[in-house]
Amino acid sequence: MSEKPMTERALLGAGAENPSAWLRLAPNVRMGFLAVVAAVALWMLAMGIDSQMGLFWIYGLAFGFVLQRSRFCFASAFRDIFLLQHGRTLKGVLAGLAVATLGFGLVMSKQVPNPSLGFLPPEANVLPIGLHLVVGGLIFGIGMVVAGGCVSGSVYRMGEGYVASWVSFGGILVGLLLTAYTWNWWWDASIATGWRVWLPTYLGHGGALALTLLALLGVYLLVVWWESRSGMVIPETPFVGSGGDGFRARIDDNLRQTFVHGWPAITGGVALGALNVMLFYTAHPWGFTGELSRWMLGLSSALGIGPGELQGAASLPGCTLEVGQGGFLNHMIFLVWGMVMGSFVAALFSGEFKIRRPRQNRRYAQAAGGGLLMGAGATLAMGCTIGAFFSAIPSLALNGWVFAVFLAIGAWIGTQIIQRID
Amino acid sequence: MSFKQLDVRGEICPYPMMKAVQALKRLSANEQGLEVITDHAPALETIPTQAIRLGFSSVIEETGSPEWKITLTKK
Repeated sequence: MSEKPMTERALLGAGAENPSAWLRLAPNVRMGFLAVVAAVALWMLAMGIDSQMGLFWIYGLAFGFVLQRSRFCFASAFRDIFLLQHGRTLKGVLAGLAVATLGFGLVMSKQVPNPSLGFLPPEANVLPIGLHLVVGGLIFGIGMVVAGGCVSGSVYRMGEGYVASWVSFGGILVGLLLTAYTWNWWWDASIATGWRVWLPTYLGHGGALALTLLALLGVYLLVVWWESRSGMVIPETPFVGSGGDGFRARIDDNLRQTFVHGWPAITGGVALGALNVMLFYTAHPWGFTGELSRWMLGLSSALGIGPGELQGAASLPGCTLEVGQGGFLNHMIFLVWGMVMGSFVAALFSGEFKIRRPRQNRRYAQAAGGGLLMGAGATLAMGCTIGAFFSAIPSLALNGWVFAVFLAIGAWIGTQIIQRID
Repeated sequence: MSFKQLDVRGEICPYPMMKAVQALKRLSANEQGLEVITDHAPALETIPTQAIRLGFSSVIEETGSPEWKITLTKK
């Protein structure tokens, strides 16, 4: 793409002649190793409380690491289709959905061997479809583009040092809490009567799997057609190594390709899809806005200003609002902060960590406002781009597709908005 | 002939790309291109892509940790 290919950042620092191996490492790599030590210490602490907390810490680290390495952001996946006519990240999302669909299908076929009886797999993200999902998808889509990252995108950029992403995260928390006060209205108006469609109920496991994979293929073809209209195919930036033939040079190139060079979006998508299957097999699908709501509902209840009882919320799976119970520490808090830590470690090794502050104050307003919209959208849709989309379509649930359509429309509206903000 | 300078450090996604495209479209006739300074890694994919579509060539140089200079030259 460029005339002179960029060589990758070295893992060794300026003091390459230093007798101490530790001091030969670049400063950011040394910091990376210290962060790994901290992550291991926190893992031991989590294991000391409960082995499941330790396990979810590891999952969180892995998700955060992959998100950072592949720069995997659902906001850019949907936005760049409109803004750049470019489907790099969306193709990665589709690959991840295909992998997760196969794995989820297998797990669910063990959980519910005879789907035609109308039973739903208890942990799969099969959620009611209705006006709440339409509104939730639209405002989530607008919010993620205005804020410059979805919930998982904000979480991994928090680990990279983007101050605006911490502001977005605060906005998400507040948005989740504020809309919780409207939950009972939405429950009566739309959620309680919403149709929960699990495709295997109607098509059997094989039919539902085949239909979902075909639909993903259809979207892929649509993306390629849309890209082809822009008249240019843009390859991912290739990795340029040292080109050395020796063992050490090859290992050094391997390490730099993994820890320094950005991964292709498809690699990231496949890794996230596989991790999602493993997590579902262990406990439940990937998602975390339910956990964020648990913090806020627990806090507001402790202060005596909570929204009170949320009708029906406890009966729904996925990232539905959770009333704060069972104390502050649970396994999911380790998943959420594990993602921030995993991204932090990855960003240090790749030399991409930096405290970044936007110079214009309006960016903080955008981050906070976009976060609020995402929090509100995640309440109504019962999940973010992870819980209501990346874990819902593989659950062979129709609600994942409905959310995706309105998410895309919201992202288009968001793209119109950011182009009008200087 | 000179290069116009654009510093988008600290900007949130996707403003580094949007500001670079805006600047490329506003280059005057006596400017041969644009030098963008960024600390936003995703922009290393998006800025060259959009620049090539607008008829510029692109060279990325690492200038810090993490900081890059992207030189976009009129073809």
